[in-house]
Amino acid sequence: MEHTTLAHHLLVAGLLFALGLTGVLVRRNLLVVYMCLELMLTAATLALVAFSRFNRTMDGAVFVFFIITVAAAEVAVGLALIVALYRRRGSMKSDELTTLRD
Amino acid sequence: MSPDLSSLVHWILFLPLGAAALSALFLRRSGAVAAWFSTATAFAIAALSLRLLTQSTGDVTWHVELAKLGEISLGFGYLIDANARLMLFVVSFVAAWIHLFSVGYMQDDAARGRFFAGLSIFMFSILGIVVADNLLMTFIFWELVGFSSYMLIAHYFDKDFAAAASKKAFITNRLGDLGFILGIALCLHLYGTLDFAALKAHAGPAVPVAVGALLMCGFLGKSAQFPLHVWLTDAMAGPTPVSALIHAATMVAAGVYFMARVSFLLAPEVLQWMAISGAGMAALAGLCALAQTDIKKSLAYSTLAHLGIMGCALGLGHPELAVLHMAMHAFFKATLFLGAGSVIHGCHHEQDMLKMGGLLKKMPLTAATFIAATLSNCAVPFFAGWYSKDAILEAAWHGHHVAVFAFLALAALATCLYSGRMIRLVFLGEANSEAAEHAHESPWTMTLPISVLGLVFAVGAGFAAHYLIPASSLQVVHESLAEMRFSFTAPSTIVGLLALALGLGGALKFYGTVRGADALQVVSPRAYALLERRWMDGLYRWWIDGPQRRLAEFVAFLDLLLINGVAVRWIAGGATAALGHLTGRSFHRGQTRGYALWIVVGSLLLAWYLLAR
Amino acid sequence: MPDGLFIFFAALTLGAASLLVLSRNAVTSAMGMILALVGVAADFFLLDAYFLGVLQVLVYAGAVMVLFLFVIMLLTDTAESSEGYPWKSAAVGLAVFFFLTAGVLWLFVWSGAVPATAAGATPPELSANPGEFITAAKGFGRLLYTKYLLPLEIAGFLLLVALVGVVSLSKDPVEENA
Repeated sequence: MEHTTLAHHLLVAGLLFALGLTGVLVRRNLLVVYMCLELMLTAATLALVAFSRFNRTMDGAVFVFFIITVAAAEVAVGLALIVALYRRRGSMKSDELTTLRD
Repeated sequence: MSPDLSSLVHWILFLPLGAAALSALFLRRSGAVAAWFSTATAFAIAALSLRLLTQSTGDVTWHVELAKLGEISLGFGYLIDANARLMLFVVSFVAAWIHLFSVGYMQDDAARGRFFAGLSIFMFSILGIVVADNLLMTFIFWELVGFSSYMLIAHYFDKDFAAAASKKAFITNRLGDLGFILGIALCLHLYGTLDFAALKAHAGPAVPVAVGALLMCGFLGKSAQFPLHVWLTDAMAGPTPVSALIHAATMVAAGVYFMARVSFLLAPEVLQWMAISGAGMAALAGLCALAQTDIKKSLAYSTLAHLGIMGCALGLGHPELAVLHMAMHAFFKATLFLGAGSVIHGCHHEQDMLKMGGLLKKMPLTAATFIAATLSNCAVPFFAGWYSKDAILEAAWHGHHVAVFAFLALAALATCLYSGRMIRLVFLGEANSEAAEHAHESPWTMTLPISVLGLVFAVGAGFAAHYLIPASSLQVVHESLAEMRFSFTAPSTIVGLLALALGLGGALKFYGTVRGADALQVVSPRAYALLERRWMDGLYRWWIDGPQRRLAEFVAFLDLLLINGVAVRWIAGGATAALGHLTGRSFHRGQTRGYALWIVVGSLLLAWYLLAR
Repeated sequence: MPDGLFIFFAALTLGAASLLVLSRNAVTSAMGMILALVGVAADFFLLDAYFLGVLQVLVYAGAVMVLFLFVIMLLTDTAESSEGYPWKSAAVGLAVFFFLTAGVLWLFVWSGAVPATAAGATPPELSANPGEFITAAKGFGRLLYTKYLLPLEIAGFLLLVALVGVVSLSKDPVEENA
């Protein structure tokens, strides 16, 4: 029962991060890519909370608090950007947004 | 000292900010409301300043600390001494009448809301400079003034020349401000404080030249002193009330005021430079005014000349005289500009003096005030300009600055010449164009301000300086005035009267000889061209097109070679190109996923390195 | 072995995250995301970070995901194109995934970088000592208003800036030109 170690939590966090990263690389729908990015962020917060708990300090947890705040702001702005992009280009496929090439 | 007075200053400072915010946020579409609202605010400020001028005798101080960084305290506060009180009154009073004038002048303008919001934000900024008690606060408001000036010059932003002029003004000012902020940093480094009072206590008799020289840079830019004077004549692209308020009466004078405020930080070398260059510029700009046909540009050169005189007074070690001349100048030059605005308005937006003429009969009120202000400008005895200008001449004579005195005398002569020319071309003779033929007097919102400013102040302010000032708080000014001898045997008076007779008389006669053209241009085209040519602009153009462009190109080449070529392309470009060659496809396809993949690869390599270390 | 609840929620989280990555329907992806976030929140609870767990559910699974769903429905681009998976990039993704998984396993399980004994083995006992890990929101409050006051203010300001940014981004460009 009490044998959930730090390594277990970190493992979950790492796998979650890997999943999110894979999604970012594979998916083409910008919205899904964005969700995957958020997933990676969440994985990082999970690791932080675990470290915080096992080191008996509050700082990591407070850090997570700030990450959640920033992420909320980031999502709002990011989604607004995606909507604006969609309005202008009529597409949400990351393949079709290749202006950066030039 | 009493809390009552500092709250008065709060009102003076923040009323215009509130007005600007209200106008900008809610009144953009309803210009008429914004105009009257802004004007009412300006008059309220003027009334409050008058109360401050008459009620307080000691210095008003108020300070609140905003941040403390180690030993350094940054704050926000007021320091209202005699100079500040006078400046507050002049600024707010002139501004109030100019607001009223603008109501009439801008009647048909679509963007009136923006214009009046701009005027209000300018008021806020300039009043901030006046009341500031430390260098940092001064600098912040200094920049705000620059911003509002930029915004107002570019009021007709759809016209290319207005947009270009506003940029020129802003960039030139920025050059000066660079020196200014370096000067502030140096003060902080040397004395560890930015408060005027503390600086005054810390600064001994031997102040490093660099401090004064750097602080003077800000003054050079804002007050359009040589060699940064080039923006002022172009700034006339803004609406005429803006020229009157910002580029004649108040903003350009802010530099003079600021220099007077930090005069204890100016080393003798700096003062000497200011005296010589100021006097030289006064003479030169006065002569250049002769070669302008645009009435506003001619007045702009006149402003340059007077700013030179003020700078000269500062350099001679008489900051109080500089501030006094600034006050007098504000009254009569604002009148001149507003009169010019009224003339332009009456002549259906004709600005060429050669196409005017005979307006004395068509616009009697405007003509009368304009001529009165001109006489003040020429320093006719007992007009406002005479008191301050003669005092400065006198100071130069007493200080045994022969060169400065000679330049100032020349400036006096030039002033009379261009003033006479202006009156002759615009108001006397006969109409030289259709527009001048059908000129009409302006509405009361325009004639009332010029009458008040012109007849009451441009003429009467001198008496006020002479008689009223002892009764009020301007003890400093009065003392130095009392030292000056007002007698007809004094060299300054002799020179002044001589210049007056020669200049005014000569100009009136000379410019009557040719009709529809400039007499000087007819008689001696070469001399005219010499004066018309803008030497410093040419010099700047040469510098920017020549050495600076070459330097920029060289740096760009280095950037291309070292940063882009070696550092970026060689490593990243080379690596990806090699990989691309291996796998047979391009890595620079503009696809976000491709980039993401490379970020992942890079991070993994980094993580591997960190873990294996 | 870890306790049962942990295994359950870890599996839930990872399964939901897989659903997010693999589903071809954006709405299904969003549902997977919500589930994954709830799973992470549950993990937070298991780690005694109750306040963060609640916050996670409220902010992420609640507000943020609702925002996502709104945008998905607004743009009506629900189905990922029917042209099938981009197998080429999927292969790359799969390779990265396995590589990362192997790396994570090696790092956290076999390398011994994470101490398996002492602090790492079991969660240490909680103490009432302020500054140490406290389960109650009180601990957050105390730290946020003392040690982290400036970051807190900045975060608040950031939210304001984001608010303004979103408003200006969402303005119709056509309307703005008029």
